[in-house]
Amino acid sequence: MGSFGALGYSFSQGIKNIRRNKLFSIASVATMGACIFLFGILYFLLVNVQYMMENAESNVGVSVFFREGITNDEIVNIGEEIQNIKGVTSVTYMSPEDTWEYYKSTYLNEELAATFGSDNPLADSMSYSVYFDDVSDQPEAVEQIKKLSGVRKVNDSNDIVATLTKINRALSIGTVIIVALLLSIATFLISTTISTGVSIRREEISIMHLIGAADYFIRGPFIVEGVLIGFLGACIPLSILYAVYYKVVALVVSKFSGLFITMQFVDIDEVFLFVTPISMLMGLGIGILGSSITLSRQLKLIRSFN
Amino acid sequence: MPKGHEEETGREVLPEAPVIVLDHVSKAYDGFSDNHALEDVSFRIDKGEFVFIVGPSGSGKSTLIRLIENEIDPTSGKIYVAGKDLSKLKKRQVCKYRRSIGIVFQDYRLLPDRNVYENVAFAQEVIEAPKNKIPKEVSKMLTLVGLSQKFKSFPKEMSGGEQQRVALARALVNNPMILLADEPTGNLDPQNSWEIMNLLEEVNKRGTTVVVVTHNREIVDVMQKRVISVLNGKIIEDKKGGYDVG
Repeated sequence: MGSFGALGYSFSQGIKNIRRNKLFSIASVATMGACIFLFGILYFLLVNVQYMMENAESNVGVSVFFREGITNDEIVNIGEEIQNIKGVTSVTYMSPEDTWEYYKSTYLNEELAATFGSDNPLADSMSYSVYFDDVSDQPEAVEQIKKLSGVRKVNDSNDIVATLTKINRALSIGTVIIVALLLSIATFLISTTISTGVSIRREEISIMHLIGAADYFIRGPFIVEGVLIGFLGACIPLSILYAVYYKVVALVVSKFSGLFITMQFVDIDEVFLFVTPISMLMGLGIGILGSSITLSRQLKLIRSFN
Repeated sequence: MPKGHEEETGREVLPEAPVIVLDHVSKAYDGFSDNHALEDVSFRIDKGEFVFIVGPSGSGKSTLIRLIENEIDPTSGKIYVAGKDLSKLKKRQVCKYRRSIGIVFQDYRLLPDRNVYENVAFAQEVIEAPKNKIPKEVSKMLTLVGLSQKFKSFPKEMSGGEQQRVALARALVNNPMILLADEPTGNLDPQNSWEIMNLLEEVNKRGTTVVVVTHNREIVDVMQKRVISVLNGKIIEDKKGGYDVG
């Protein structure tokens, strides 16, 4: 029959095993699917929060306002001093007009902005926008800026960053715990499925063993069974996740873009470039691992009873 | 040990190279070190011999079969089959070794969800025999055991004797050097028992070494082959003739 024959035999018998053992196979695929689906959802949240954090780090800088009656020379001096503070990547002067335009485009919709006409409610609000490479440098820098002569007020974005960091950490821990728990359940179920399959084919395996079937020939169908369960358990949730992500992002962007203009999502293809191989690895890995461990135990048992 | 034996014609046959040699073999199962299933057993079986192993239940007959099949290892002593020391076989060599041995059981051990053809072909499939040769080999074996017309039948549709003949075809289809039969007539009526024994004799005449473990006194007495008598794990007699063990 040769090795291709053995492979064909393993596949046909592996599929037969799944059919014979439908209930357990479905339960295994469902658990594996639930596990990978949850992993996907948590990963989407994680990656998007991180993405928003990166945006916050690069887009949400510190605004430095000046005391009344400050001269242009003093403003230039303050700018130079800020530029020398550790972690500062850029210092941009914002005139009252620039500030008002930015505010309008970021926080107000067109209708509301139009009600102000040519008035600028931020006429005395010239400022510096200070940006950092690493947001963790911000608190110390803010303290130094506050001490500069001529500075009236510093608006920092520490709260936003701190909140996003907390969410990110909670999500990371949650993802690890939930995925580990679900992976354990999935491994257990696959192991039970393979055990049941081996029990059903106990006599057949025993005879194969006595006739002189090679070890890989006996194990092949069960490994294929585990691989197929793992593969289906990864493919099904991946398809659902693709549709869900696509629709949810489209919905959020279309419904809430006016409210959360700074909310941006990672591109779907970019997300799936990571999620797909990881999910496949999880599915196939657990399928192979679960079936291999169980097989060794079960086959040893069968041999001892021959 | 036998030096040679007479064929039915009365012609003295020259001793062949031993195909099975047990050299001071003992076997104690785990936890029963003081209660040996076999104790200091030595014998040799030559190529082409027909040997009965007889003895009461629990005497160690099936342990002998399992040792020769390399299913279990002896606690001490050596077993050689076709010149190979079984204790030195590597794991991947064991399956190849087993292909040189056909085995038949008292309870037939056929696969109930496969028909006669599939049961016999199964033995070829699992050793990865060329696919195009399987139908020819299976057909040849089914003809030998007289079941060529029943190749589509399932085990549950057949008598015990027929099922044992299928099991025999399965054991022989890989052209083994040795055929081990563990109580092959244990579940059969006298007529079917004789049919099976006649088949085993036919197989032996074609050159296969046949080792039959049995309780069946009548068969042993009538066939007048070499008889190894086992009692309490020890060989108490090894001679050509009838069933003498109590």
